[in-house]
Amino acid sequence: MRANLRSMRMFFTQIKGDSMLLMMCFLPPLIAAVFRFGIPFAEGQLRSVLQRSAVLSEYYLLFDLFLAMFAPYFLVFISAMVMLSEIDEHVAAYLAVTPIRKRGYIVSRLLYPALLSVAVSAALLSLCALTDWSVWNLLLACLLSVLLCIPVGMLVVVYAHNRVEGMALAKLSGLVLFGLPIPFFLTNGFQYLFSWLPSFWIAKLFMTQNYLALLPAIFVSAAWIWALYRRFTRKLL
Amino acid sequence: MITVKDLVFSYTEKPFIETMNFSVRDGEIFGFLGPSGAGKSTLQKLLTGLLPRYGGSVTVDGTEAKRAGKEFYQNIGVDFEFPSLYEKLTGRENLRFFASLYRRHRDIDALLKAIGLHMDADKKVSEYSKGMKSRLNFIKALLHSPKLLFLDEPTNGLDPSNARVMKDMILQEKAEGKTVILTTHNMYDATELCDHVSFIVDGAIAALDTPKALMTKKRAVQLTYTFESPDGGLEERSVPLTQTGGDATLRQLIGDGKLASIHSAEPTLNDVFVEITGRRLQ
Ligand SMILES: Nc1ncnc2c1ncn2[C@@H]1O[C@H](COP(=O)(O)OP(=O)(O)O)[C@@H](O)[C@H]1O
Ligand SMILES: [Mg+2]
Repeated sequence: MRANLRSMRMFFTQIKGDSMLLMMCFLPPLIAAVFRFGIPFAEGQLRSVLQRSAVLSEYYLLFDLFLAMFAPYFLVFISAMVMLSEIDEHVAAYLAVTPIRKRGYIVSRLLYPALLSVAVSAALLSLCALTDWSVWNLLLACLLSVLLCIPVGMLVVVYAHNRVEGMALAKLSGLVLFGLPIPFFLTNGFQYLFSWLPSFWIAKLFMTQNYLALLPAIFVSAAWIWALYRRFTRKLL
Repeated sequence: MITVKDLVFSYTEKPFIETMNFSVRDGEIFGFLGPSGAGKSTLQKLLTGLLPRYGGSVTVDGTEAKRAGKEFYQNIGVDFEFPSLYEKLTGRENLRFFASLYRRHRDIDALLKAIGLHMDADKKVSEYSKGMKSRLNFIKALLHSPKLLFLDEPTNGLDPSNARVMKDMILQEKAEGKTVILTTHNMYDATELCDHVSFIVDGAIAALDTPKALMTKKRAVQLTYTFESPDGGLEERSVPLTQTGGDATLRQLIGDGKLASIHSAEPTLNDVFVEITGRRLQ
């Protein structure tokens, strides 16, 4: 436990020493603020221009779901970048022969940042949401978002050989978020083509308020984590 | 301290390490000597629990390596063959962080001084030379005063004087009762430091004994002498040191005082290695 917390502290030290990663930390609150104030403003402008009663407001829930994703997505990305450096410097392998061990390393680079991002995400959503959220739904949305982002981080670590490739992969892996708009725009059976994306089920869950969608939302993320876990731990050596 | 029994391991489908057996005693320096690619680093990774998917049993300090827990890692120190350091941090910051992972640790400044890095302790590791990184990496393994040390080619790439300092520190660890596993492809280091040496080739132990026994058992020490031949040139002959009595020419030359030169040549560990394994060390 003590060693894991030391390892977590080193995680922050690494971020502090890297201007790009430090900047990334401020992006989620920035984007959240833009959503909170920019979208309702745009909505007002669009209404008067298009002479319609609702343009964007039909999709406010979708914006909120994206909002819940930002903190975990960026934090997982930051974590993946830190891990790629540590793998490159052979420190990741070295920590496996200290009391941290491989398990402690994974906990301090994936689990702790994930828990932190649940908190950040919940804070941003409760401050900047465009629709009304119950406490439980809000927490659930944040938890599911984090669960979806963990395999994204693992994917970047597994397939990138260095930080440059990691950046490219992280941008590409942003595509996993695009299961969110599917249920909003594809209302026929074709939408289920995207059922391998956990984000699809998250959107489905909060659109329909049908808690059965919770099962595939969790299951699909867990399957992604399971599929990547072996390769991920091997990359750390 | 270490018992390896019927160890089987491979990275791929192809067999690599097959039924390997050996043991390491408390308080000795035990060497893995072998050419590049022989499997020395792989062995070190197996012993330190980094590669848990092996067959047979690997008991280190009473623990099966694949089930090593937190306590196990309080007591071992590892020096990988590559530096494993945070490049953006200073040498001292690196040591402080790694020391903080243990219950207790040695005085960092004393270690820096001993290895000769105290003047550079506050420079970033990225500004260190290759040899400086190796030295910092080495003292990082000693930080928590572990009772078992794994050193993978620690003197590789060091100039002779820094290598000397490091070897003395290794001997000092032994004097304090620590057990050391030393991986090397340098026969002089193995001869000087190790109590037992194992020759590793293609994932197997080709021989295991004390350096002295290995050097004397295999090939007898040779006596080489030269003398003026009848045609006026210089002739050289060799005879095993144990059979000089049967060499009539030598006896005659000694009697007549006609020897041009005479010396004995002990085989090096390298000669023995080539003889046993048919391979060169580097
Ligand atoms: N992670 C790995 N995956 C697959 N093969 C490996 C891996 N690491 C080492 N090897 C192979 O195993 C053999 C032994 O390597 P190693 O233990 O590093 O040798 P040494 O330390 O004696 O030079 C080599 O043929 C090497 O290519
Ligand atoms: Mg090696």
